[in-house]
Amino acid sequence: SERMRKFKNKGKDAAALRRQRVEVNIELRKAKKDEQILKRRSISFRLMDESLSLGEERRNEIIQLSLEEIVEAVNGSNTELQLQATQATRRMLSRQKDPPINQIIELGIIPRLVEFLTHADNAPLQFEAAWALTNIASGTSDHTKVVVEGGAIPAFISLLSSPHMHISEQSVWALGNIAGDGPLYRDALINCNVIPPLLALVSPVTPVNNLHFLDVGFLRNITWTLSNLCRNKNPYPPLDAVKKMLPVLICLMEHEDKDIISDSCWAVSYLTDGSNDRIQIVVDTGILPRLVQLMASPELIIMTPALRAIGNVVTGTDEQTQAAIDAGVLAVLPCLLRHAKPTIQKEAAWTLSNIAAGPCQQIQQLITCGLLPPLVELLDKGDFKAQKEAVWAVANFTTGGTVEQVVELVQSGVLKPLLNLLLAKDSKTILVILDTISNLFLAAEKLGETERLCLLVEELDGLEKIEALQTHDNNMVYRAALNIIEKYFSGE
Amino acid sequence: LLFLQRVLLLVASDVDALCACKILQALFQCDHVQYTLVPVSGWQELETAFLEHKDQFKYFVLINCGANVDLLEILQPEEDTFFFVCDSHRPINVVNVYNDTQIKLLVKQDDDLDVPAYDDIFRDEEDEEEDSENESDGSEPTEKRRRFEEDVIERTMKRRQRREWEARRREILFDYEQYEYHGTSSAMVMFDLAWIMSKDLNDMLWWAIVGLTDQWVQDKITQMKYVTDIGILQRHVSRHNHRNEDEENSLSIDCMRIAFEYDLRLALYQHWSLYESLCNTSYTSASLKLWSVQGQKRLQEFLADMGLPLKQVKQKFNSMDMSLKENLREMIEESANKFGMKDLRVQTFSIHFGFKNKFSASDIVYATASLMENIEKEGPETTNFIKALDSLSRGNLDKLHQGLDLAKKQLRAIQQTVASCICTNLVISQGPFLYCSLMEGTPDVKLFSKPVSLCLLSKYLLKSFVCSTKNKRCKLLPLIMAAPMDVEQGTVIMVGIPPETESSDKKNFFGRAFEKAADSTNSRTLHNHFDMSIIELKTEDRSKFLDALISLLS
Repeated sequence: SERMRKFKNKGKDAAALRRQRVEVNIELRKAKKDEQILKRRSISFRLMDESLSLGEERRNEIIQLSLEEIVEAVNGSNTELQLQATQATRRMLSRQKDPPINQIIELGIIPRLVEFLTHADNAPLQFEAAWALTNIASGTSDHTKVVVEGGAIPAFISLLSSPHMHISEQSVWALGNIAGDGPLYRDALINCNVIPPLLALVSPVTPVNNLHFLDVGFLRNITWTLSNLCRNKNPYPPLDAVKKMLPVLICLMEHEDKDIISDSCWAVSYLTDGSNDRIQIVVDTGILPRLVQLMASPELIIMTPALRAIGNVVTGTDEQTQAAIDAGVLAVLPCLLRHAKPTIQKEAAWTLSNIAAGPCQQIQQLITCGLLPPLVELLDKGDFKAQKEAVWAVANFTTGGTVEQVVELVQSGVLKPLLNLLLAKDSKTILVILDTISNLFLAAEKLGETERLCLLVEELDGLEKIEALQTHDNNMVYRAALNIIEKYFSGE
Repeated sequence: LLFLQRVLLLVASDVDALCACKILQALFQCDHVQYTLVPVSGWQELETAFLEHKDQFKYFVLINCGANVDLLEILQPEEDTFFFVCDSHRPINVVNVYNDTQIKLLVKQDDDLDVPAYDDIFRDEEDEEEDSENESDGSEPTEKRRRFEEDVIERTMKRRQRREWEARRREILFDYEQYEYHGTSSAMVMFDLAWIMSKDLNDMLWWAIVGLTDQWVQDKITQMKYVTDIGILQRHVSRHNHRNEDEENSLSIDCMRIAFEYDLRLALYQHWSLYESLCNTSYTSASLKLWSVQGQKRLQEFLADMGLPLKQVKQKFNSMDMSLKENLREMIEESANKFGMKDLRVQTFSIHFGFKNKFSASDIVYATASLMENIEKEGPETTNFIKALDSLSRGNLDKLHQGLDLAKKQLRAIQQTVASCICTNLVISQGPFLYCSLMEGTPDVKLFSKPVSLCLLSKYLLKSFVCSTKNKRCKLLPLIMAAPMDVEQGTVIMVGIPPETESSDKKNFFGRAFEKAADSTNSRTLHNHFDMSIIELKTEDRSKFLDALISLLS
């Protein structure tokens, strides 16, 4: 049969497969490369179209300018030369490799470029300046700072209402970069009243269908910028700003474009990553069922932020957690616990651990919805980071669960993988497991089943593992292990 | 080739590989290099041998195996493992060609490899332009984004260029990998190495000759290539053997002398009877159509034309009248010309051990190959290999003679099988190729479960068939031959060979075709042989496999 197995495989083994493998290799390399590119995020297609038409007009007259010439032209009064120089600057800043952001800043022309934003009579100049400044603001905090201190915030905010869509869109992008720099500039933008004109671009807000009149690429930019306005803590974005943005974000989550959904989910995940009153604002919008639905999306870019948002919600009060349960989170979690991607496994287990930390009614719902089998599987075979979260889930379960629930947990086979994880290198995890074991014994004592549990632990080679931990470097581990041995295994 | 560590020698089971191995062993001995020799008969054994030894060895020498697949992919070696590959199989896998760290190919400088240019088949990472619609991995969005200069046209241009490049790459690789063929004999390459290091000995030269002759006997190279390489070796022969010519009378028992010769293309005739050799040599047997009554008559006429008494012709060549032997070659050639056998004369070499023993290079090839595929089982699998290897040393005349006996049996078996296949019309035209399948129970069928014997049989059969058939189209077809392999497993061994034409380039497309046919039908095939045109196949899957081949090649 061994021979036959090879037979089957070998049929494909020869050069055909081999060539495939070569190609796979190349693919992999490509994938790595793509990853790097992704960090810089992709570009919307409509924008490209638009720049295309602009670019084509001038394609024949691409003029090479030296940095000196650029400075001279930008500071001069010839509008034609201003445009040429600004465009040359924008070109340099938009090439894929090594954009000369620092050199351009050192030319001292940023304030001048900001000034160009206000030349309402010269739309091409406004557009080129906006693009150039967007790219400068996309750099480090220092780079962004130069743009902001050049006075760009009010200029861009007023350009949001530009009659030229591509200028308005470029301003959205620039503002997104400024907001993304951190809470300081985010709040500076909010204080400059960025939100009303920004939201006005999506208006009329109410019917979802209307969103379709807007170009997808533009909408993606708006969504992303909104998400940056919700992003970052210390401090959180002002509550009233959040309350203004949330209804729009919720509309955007109904859009069909996956990037728009993804970014709006991320925005909600930022908003739920905070104190319970902030979570409450999100819960109150009634968005949880939609989030749970999106958690089950086949698209990783949607599933990930939706799961994060729900995970954040269940860190809140029992009522907030119950709202998530009522939205159906327990039905979706088994799939996610078994997901191929370790990060999803981990986030799902983390979410589950917080639900398991709830009152026993919620634990009961967790049991009823069939979460124990996938939990045990994950504990047994999951990614290690996910296993650690799963250990927490079990620990929380044993802390808050009733004796009957704990019995059910043990019956689902949790003990074996749990004891196996005592071999982990991570002391914190070991401690949590030892705590859990103590909890299990407490439950067993109540049922008068201590002996049976002892036997079970021994049978699963748990005893020798716990004994071995008595020589562990970590004092707490050693004491916890010793405690269990003395209490339950010293009788013999 | 200076090794400080022990080297693992992985050697394929063909005569050329053995000869290359002998030369390398002699070189290793010279330089006190420690090595372990492991014979490998196919990919599975190669993989197993590698896995078994990869922890103890860092240096692997592969002889007549490994060049035509992506070794790093197949063996997954550690980064500090190095492969020296001396293999006549072509085309060489492009990854092997362009790997300049772990894989060192031993190839003759002037061999025309036709390897595609690096830039045509590999793209550097720098060139890998992103495909911006790529699926994200679900990580958090970036805080800031730059807007790039690219526009749609540029982007689609790039994508189109890339697609064109990929299509071209596929085409180039398809062309490159479509045909299997053989490059310079590994023994010759190894000899070259010895010569460059000024460590070449007459023994090594002889092995190089036998290696080349093996390629010729197995019909692996073109006539042109053979003659060219003979010329190269001839220069070495005169360099090594000229002093002996003056001292011909002082030959001692253990002395060896190599000589270039125009010899008869008659298998083993000096160790057989002329008659037997005429009957069992593919060239003469096919030309005279010896499987038919008329053919036998023609043979008698041929002998009569030469004026050789049947009695003399049928007795051992050694015992033939000296007077007859003197002008024998000329006489035979003259008559052969009349009977349409214009190529009976071949350029080859012979070797003298002392006074008594003279062998032609092809004698050694037949003998060694037969020892390798001896079906009378004695001991473990490697016994045949070791015996065959030993028979190449000059001190082992008894093994050589045993090999000659086996070779005669093999040639007789081949000839009888060819005759019965032709007489019972077993060679069938399937459209794009001829097909012949040996039944279980056919005499000597066991011998033909061995690759080299089966290949020889196929080539002889095709030659004979081409001479026998009147169908002009059939004369130009390649042949697929199948023989029972393992009755218990229910498998057959199958080999495909290129058409038998005078201008044949000896390039074989069956390797690729077999793979494709197996893939498309999910046939249970085993592509284990270093020649991709030899496969093992489940008997039950044979008909669907052949159907797929027919439609593939039509």
